[in-house]
Amino acid sequence: MAQGTGAMVARPRPPGLPSGPTTIARRVVGGLAMPLGSVVFAFVVGGLIVAVTGGNPFSAYAGLICGGFGIGCTQGENPALQISNTIVFLTPLIATGVAVALPFRAGLFNIGAEGQLLAGSMACTAIGIKFSTLPTPVLLPMVLVGGMVAGALWAGVAGVLKATVGAHEVVTTIMMNYVAQWLLRYLIIGGPLQLAAGTSKSLPIGPGARLATLLPSDNSLIVFGLPASVYRVHTGLFIALVAVAVFAFLLWRTTLGYEIRAVGQSQRAARYAGVSVRRTIIVTMLIAGAFSGLAGAVQIAGVDHNLTDKYFSDTTGFDAIAVALLGLGSAVGIVLAALLFGALHAGGSVMQSDAGISSNLVLVLQALILFSIAANFLGAMRSLIPGLRRPPGAPPPGNPAAALMTEAAAPPPEGTPSK
Amino acid sequence: MGQTRLRLFGLVAVALMLAAACGGSGGTNPPAKQYKIGLVTDIGGLNDKSFNHLAYVGLQKAITDFNVKGDVKESKTGDDYIPNLTNFASTGYDLVIGVGFLMQEAVGTVSGQFPNIHFAIIDGAGTDAKGNDLQHTNVQSLFFREQDAGAMAGVISGMLEKQGKLKNNKGVISAVGGVSIPPVNHYIAGYKWAATMEDPGIKVLVGYSNDFTDPAKCKGVAQGQIQANSDVVFQVAGGCGLGALQAAGQAGVKSIGVDADQKDADPSVIVSALKKVDVATYTAIKNVVDGKFTSGALTFDIQNGGAGYALDNVTLPADIQAEVTKVQGEIAAGTLTPPADIPA
Repeated sequence: MAQGTGAMVARPRPPGLPSGPTTIARRVVGGLAMPLGSVVFAFVVGGLIVAVTGGNPFSAYAGLICGGFGIGCTQGENPALQISNTIVFLTPLIATGVAVALPFRAGLFNIGAEGQLLAGSMACTAIGIKFSTLPTPVLLPMVLVGGMVAGALWAGVAGVLKATVGAHEVVTTIMMNYVAQWLLRYLIIGGPLQLAAGTSKSLPIGPGARLATLLPSDNSLIVFGLPASVYRVHTGLFIALVAVAVFAFLLWRTTLGYEIRAVGQSQRAARYAGVSVRRTIIVTMLIAGAFSGLAGAVQIAGVDHNLTDKYFSDTTGFDAIAVALLGLGSAVGIVLAALLFGALHAGGSVMQSDAGISSNLVLVLQALILFSIAANFLGAMRSLIPGLRRPPGAPPPGNPAAALMTEAAAPPPEGTPSK
Repeated sequence: MGQTRLRLFGLVAVALMLAAACGGSGGTNPPAKQYKIGLVTDIGGLNDKSFNHLAYVGLQKAITDFNVKGDVKESKTGDDYIPNLTNFASTGYDLVIGVGFLMQEAVGTVSGQFPNIHFAIIDGAGTDAKGNDLQHTNVQSLFFREQDAGAMAGVISGMLEKQGKLKNNKGVISAVGGVSIPPVNHYIAGYKWAATMEDPGIKVLVGYSNDFTDPAKCKGVAQGQIQANSDVVFQVAGGCGLGALQAAGQAGVKSIGVDADQKDADPSVIVSALKKVDVATYTAIKNVVDGKFTSGALTFDIQNGGAGYALDNVTLPADIQAEVTKVQGEIAAGTLTPPADIPA
């Protein structure tokens, strides 16, 4: 085994840590305090930035809330439309959030969710075009599974390299992102999937490869005052929710999940206990890639129906890192964090047109949330540095999300559902 | 989690705004009808120093001249096009403008959902997924004869090369295109056509970066052309092309900017081929305010002031300037017509 993981050597748990219901309760409260605190911090600082630059933070946030949740709209925005936009945005964030959170549990940092998502969307499109005449019951599973396989292979490369030659997964997954992006460019600009010369998009996938929308895609049917086709929420939402449930089950109720967590907490201890670290790393990356690939396939099958140049500027796989961190790597947390990020995404443009505040504020808020989580890293470190260690008897620190990346994190309570 | 807090914020904000609204109504008669114009940028954003910026300039001018209400939504990713267009359309804007051909499909979709709202799109039409124009009667396409602007750059480059005023002086100039799509090729067509008209022996190299954003890609293409003795590099690749301008500057040869005046992008820029998106945006708004909206294509060229050139870091000799003015007049008058396709 290569020593590329030297930074992650095992640390013994501080002895004498109390355990019991009180501790668990404290941990839950502490766990909620961190993400909530990060969000509040981001909104307060963001509000100050708006105020200092001459805007009105209240109208800015009113615009965000209207755009994200359809609440309190002042310019006649349709609440149902805003909520449906938020749901469309959050759907891929859930599955890619899982694709980042699962490797975190194994002590791996998957920055390649974006590339894996692109691999999934490319496979889905290729299959959906090639077999466009097949009926839905055959073709839809084909494109979704195809996307998962492609994503798994994309991430698996990083997993194999990590397990065999010790190549750091941060580097390899980033590089695989570039490979995916340029492969995509080739495929739709001059390559085999290009629609026609002079275009930068693919043919649409066959009707059998498409996920149904919840409402019929009909311009003449009026629902909530607007044509039904404007509500783009599709059944991919349920696929994403199933995916996140599978993630929770896998992590907490299976042997593999136990091995993943064991490897994440201490590779040496896991090896000593008979867990194959190499195999676990490879399998973890394969599964994570499958989640990302699924997100890409669902995005094509549910929303876009073809590959276009808009995937050049897609950032879902990177937002997913923030989603996984803010969600503390837990299933419920990921869904809630994806909801927040989806709402921010949908709300930004409403804020811009209603309150006149640049939608770049959304990026500032996202950055502040991440910053705040990263700053908590220090809180985690504090308990490990002898001079700064809390006095005996003080309550144990919570479960800071950033510490999920380190083996120093205190293990979550065994056997309890990942609430 | 965050939402209770968010809702609270919302309630407070709404209360404040209601209070503000009550205090602000002073009892004056409302104006007859204030037109609402929505502008949706593409992923370049408002500060792209090009299309989106120019569209914004046109919108601002219209706000001043016609007292319209103009609002902007910047698209952060391609996923934002449909929500942004839909949002304006569903809140009753009179004209929704999409900037750039990247939004063609989105405009096609949304214009079908809102047949009573007017749409305008720069450089494109409302299309289906296969790129076929849906010909919705509520969509106006704002096209440009880029070849007119390219021709002006071509006249200057051709004459400079012919007179031996450039570095290598081996009768070679070049163009770096982003992707081989019609708007890009129009520019290059006019450029090559006019340069050949001035200097029949000239060789015009044409390369594509397959990219509109990454300067490194265009820099590489431009460096290859400069090694092949190109004296002038015409960038037709948006943000990517800034790398081509840099490559020219570093190699001591000249370059040509595109779409907006790129004088400040690099000292090597001698002229910019202009596509006046501000004029087009302003005209589209004016038409709606005047009740003269028409569907289909509206084309902007040298003749109606929608295309042209800007001289940058160079002072042209009198004979070249005279030729440029002469060709411009002939194109405007219709006696000279630059081709839309790149000549062989």
